[in-house]
Amino acid sequence: MATAELHKTGALRPPRPAAKGRRRSAGRIALFLTLCVVSLLMMVPFIWMVLTSLKTPVEIASQDAGLLPEHWEFGNYADALKAAPFATYARNSFIIAFSHTLINVLVASMAGYALARIRFRGSDVIFYLFIAALMIPTYTKVLPEFLIVRFMPLAGGNDLFGQGGSGWLDSWWALIVPGAVTPFAVFLFRQFYLDLPVELEEAARLDGLGEFRIYSRIMSPQVKPAFITVALLTFESSWNNFLWPLLVTHSDNLRVIQVGLSVFKTENGTQWHFLMAGTTLATLPMVVLFLIGQRYFVQGFATAGLK
Amino acid sequence: MLMVAPALLHASLWIGLPVLASVVLAFTKYDVLTPPQFVGFDNFQDMMGDAVFRKSIVNTIIYTFFTVPFGMMLGLLTALALHTGLKARGIFRTAIFLPQVTATVAIALVWLWIYNPGNGLFNTLLSFLGVNGPAWLASTSWAMPSVILVGIWQGIGMKMLIYLAALQSLPKELYEAASVDGASKVRQFFSITLPLLKPATFFVLITSMINAFQSFDQIYILTDGGPANSTTMMTYEIYKSAFREFRVGYASAQSLVLFVLLMGFTLVNRRIMGGTRGHS
Repeated sequence: MATAELHKTGALRPPRPAAKGRRRSAGRIALFLTLCVVSLLMMVPFIWMVLTSLKTPVEIASQDAGLLPEHWEFGNYADALKAAPFATYARNSFIIAFSHTLINVLVASMAGYALARIRFRGSDVIFYLFIAALMIPTYTKVLPEFLIVRFMPLAGGNDLFGQGGSGWLDSWWALIVPGAVTPFAVFLFRQFYLDLPVELEEAARLDGLGEFRIYSRIMSPQVKPAFITVALLTFESSWNNFLWPLLVTHSDNLRVIQVGLSVFKTENGTQWHFLMAGTTLATLPMVVLFLIGQRYFVQGFATAGLK
Repeated sequence: MLMVAPALLHASLWIGLPVLASVVLAFTKYDVLTPPQFVGFDNFQDMMGDAVFRKSIVNTIIYTFFTVPFGMMLGLLTALALHTGLKARGIFRTAIFLPQVTATVAIALVWLWIYNPGNGLFNTLLSFLGVNGPAWLASTSWAMPSVILVGIWQGIGMKMLIYLAALQSLPKELYEAASVDGASKVRQFFSITLPLLKPATFFVLITSMINAFQSFDQIYILTDGGPANSTTMMTYEIYKSAFREFRVGYASAQSLVLFVLLMGFTLVNRRIMGGTRGHS
């Protein structure tokens, strides 16, 4: 980020007297060490998770075991996958996170584009509605959302008035549709499209391109970072979601990984080595995604700061 | 316009309608099986006599009061440390931010194991020192501090990042001028950095508070609101009323109280922060 500029200003300064420089470097070493300790503290739970996932149950149960495993039990992972359908859970989470990402990127970018670049009656009102929607707490919505899913007309054995069956409960519809588009993504896309120069749009319009083509061919390629940011953030929050999938599913083949993990905790009297192996597996995709897309993740979180 | 239509339709069905329904249902008695019955302010009256819900409001405020300011302080300190331009700052930033991208459920499960009274990490380490650690999450006096520690730990990364972004946009000329005038680093921090960070601080405060008020996953995994309701939060009570006791109307009224409290705190914060902005 902009710290590179800091280096530059430092280089332009006149050289410091040696004593001051030494004190400065001592301070830097202290700072470095402090940050090492802080980072380690932040990492300890993750390290502890992986270490436990590689221990034998006997070792975990014994009172005077060390912090490191005595035998590295890599087989725990294979056994955990057999003990609970983690592979199915992970597949479900992946399908949901992927569909959410795709739908959100498409629908929200269109809306964001229209709100930023096209003047039409009511566009201001619609924009403020989206801003208002941003501020509604999850818990004000979650109950009625559940009821809408439960009483969805003509679904899951329901009649036209939503009576008689179970609606969208325990179906892919319930897992995917309600959370697919986020007002936050609309807002973020709008901000990005606003910054584009008018000339680009006018040239395209002179060439006789339709509005949808201007959006898809001319303007959207200019805001790739917005697409990557929204995609990463959507995937992350969808993969990590817990309450909603917990509420709308009960069958094992629709369980998502976060819910699967929490069920595993109580049902099997908590077999910590399996549970930590499962947790490692559930955490890994997000860690990898974060490391790959770090720049955009950091940018997205920093500019938006919302979760 | 056709291009906004899908997003607008989605938002009206899954945000607009639910919010309206919430308000209406708060004045009804409803168990999903029989049609809702209008009961006026009965739900709100019941709430006043509900000791557990009152306890959950107090707990929510305690949790927020400890996680948010401490998290902000640590976030600002780490941001300042990373802003100095150390070579390895990318690695540090990643380590500190990592808990933010991992699921709260996964994190809570790991902490559940760390807090395990028999051979969790804490009590293993304490036993090296010859100390018999408490049963962290099963103790009415330790459960809340334990939950708060997880909250602070997970939230530092986000707060650090917003502060870091804000620090990088501060005008460098001011610091150069202050150095020339002989102002110490500490002085510079209090009279330049801190006032200029006010908008960022306000933003971090509001978003962290909204998040803290809505904590659910960690309570569900770590304590189930126990022991003896010592860690129950408003969100957990709403969940219990709605999905365990099927008192949907009552739960709606509770969520309305949560919403009003959140809005109230936000407005108070804005007034306090906005009021001082004029002087700086």
